[in-house]
Amino acid sequence: MKKMLLPVLCLLFLAACAGTTKEIDLSTDTAENADFSSADLARITDGMMSSIQANGFFQQYLAEHAGQKPVMLLAKELKNDTDEHIKTRLILEKIRTRMINEGTAQFVDDQAFDTALEQLNLQASDLYDNAKAAKIGKFVGAKYVLRGTISNIRKRSGREDINYMNVTMDIFEVETLLIKWTNEVEFKRVSTKGAMR
Amino acid sequence: MDERGRVQTRLHEGRHEVIGAWGRTTRPVGASFHEIGGCVRKAFLATIMLLTVACATYTSRMELSRDLYYGGRYGDALANLDKLVKDAAERDYYLFLLERGKVSLAAGAYDSAIVDLQKAERRFLEIEATVSVADLFKNMLVNPSMGEYQPEPHEKIMISSYLLLAYWLKGDREGAFVERNRLVERLKQYTGQLSDQDRAALDVPFAHYLAAVLYEIEGREDDARIEYDVLEKIAPDVVPSPLDAKLDELIVFTEVGRAPVKVSTEIRGYLQKDGASLVGFFNLPGSAGPQMFMLPGFGDLRIDKPGVLFTFAFPQCVRERRVVERCKLVVDGVEAGEMKPLDNLENTAYAAYEKGLPLTLLKAAFRTYLKTVVQTKLGDTDDAKGIAFDVLGKVLASVDRADTRSWQTLPSEIRVFRMECGPGERKVSVRYLDAKGNVVGMSGSVHVSSGRGTKTIVFLI
Repeated sequence: MKKMLLPVLCLLFLAACAGTTKEIDLSTDTAENADFSSADLARITDGMMSSIQANGFFQQYLAEHAGQKPVMLLAKELKNDTDEHIKTRLILEKIRTRMINEGTAQFVDDQAFDTALEQLNLQASDLYDNAKAAKIGKFVGAKYVLRGTISNIRKRSGREDINYMNVTMDIFEVETLLIKWTNEVEFKRVSTKGAMR
Repeated sequence: MDERGRVQTRLHEGRHEVIGAWGRTTRPVGASFHEIGGCVRKAFLATIMLLTVACATYTSRMELSRDLYYGGRYGDALANLDKLVKDAAERDYYLFLLERGKVSLAAGAYDSAIVDLQKAERRFLEIEATVSVADLFKNMLVNPSMGEYQPEPHEKIMISSYLLLAYWLKGDREGAFVERNRLVERLKQYTGQLSDQDRAALDVPFAHYLAAVLYEIEGREDDARIEYDVLEKIAPDVVPSPLDAKLDELIVFTEVGRAPVKVSTEIRGYLQKDGASLVGFFNLPGSAGPQMFMLPGFGDLRIDKPGVLFTFAFPQCVRERRVVERCKLVVDGVEAGEMKPLDNLENTAYAAYEKGLPLTLLKAAFRTYLKTVVQTKLGDTDDAKGIAFDVLGKVLASVDRADTRSWQTLPSEIRVFRMECGPGERKVSVRYLDAKGNVVGMSGSVHVSSGRGTKTIVFLI
């Protein structure tokens, strides 16, 4: 029995040292430090979407255009004025996904232009059945653009890192440059490192 | 470098002399056990001391890469640094990444430079203002180079400066603006609280200049003006006046000389009680051989048996000899003008070294005391435990050396040239001259294409 004890203890020790992988529920995701995190992404999307839903512009547009949704375009990216390399396109795309899925607006794919053009050219050639080919001249122009800026003010001192972050987004009308909707989500976090490492 | 080499040789000679001094022990050891123990200890000590002579410091490990880099052989320097990074202990790993990142930047491998510099920066931020108990023990018991490297503030600012350049030169404007924001934050963190006098010595004008230029490019003239106002106090000659963000300009930076390196200066010696006197031999760096002293009236001092081995090690900052004294910008084969001194990083590194020196010396003295105590207090019994402590104390004293780590691929100086130029293609290079005006070298030449209303940044080494 005693002979078995040491190997068993060794195995238990090794098992305890083994790496683990666990899935994190995004709804309960929290930030790890003062930097931008995936939890902030959800917070920003939720904040912007509730503001869009509360804003009367989209309901008014539907009423004025016989239920037709406004055609929108994403700005190339959210202007990043922070001190972090953030994939800001992700924020825009997340909001676009929610707006399409919730039936708020239609979007023109700003990144599909080259691929679509190539396909149209190919289908217009003799390689394709012209009767069934996609027609040229059907692209829909966007009437509104969704854009924004993400900025931060950080103060780092010793082990303390204080980060204020602000995301401001708006939708402007291409024809008039009038801003039809705007909102901001802001938060401030303090992260303190342990004195020992 | 020769000067450094000579210092090290002398130190090596010194260590051998100390071993010689060990052989002159006059106090006989009574019992046979102790005689055997003493012989073993002598042999063991001699071995350890020889081993420590063979142990390479950071400066000596970097020497080849440094020479290759400053010789413009970036490929060879990178190959050598790859090996150093691969074999690096964790405590030096991130410093080697800095060195490799800098060489990659010079070689035009911007993505690799970004990966290395960012990885190092992340780690340095993680460990900033924290203490590792294990490192603390290793630093005190062995030597201060056993702990993880923590860069000087000017080195941290230079990481962000080079990251900004890497992003800009690879064509990632947004990335460069983010790095500019980080750089401004670093400057605020590390130099914002400095007195005017300290700021003149420790600030990094190159970083302020880069941040200002990027603000200008982004059309944020007010922010650019803030940075230029800081520069006005520390490097007034380079501040452009009047400021015009819309002006088409060519802005060329070049690096001159080598950053100062640190060498370990070690005072090693041996003390022994001889009757009522204290007899000792010690080796001073630069002296021809070991010095002997005899101090009467130390009869109460408990230094018995084979005596006490002591080492007092501290770093010395050695300025590198610089050949290049002037730089001239050449545009399309025509001399455009003399580049202005922007940042003397050699002076900054030296000022940072001098600022930290009192604490470094205090720590060195504490280490010396600690290792002496192990030999005199813990190792003063004649049993096996006493011998073990005695030997341990001597081993720890013999492996003591200063921390010579620093970012060694930094330049001695950065110069800048700024000229108005219309859009078009140009071939740009820098001509390096010595104090007498003789051309001693040329940078590589780059073709730049500038558009209307832009500022074109060129970084030439």
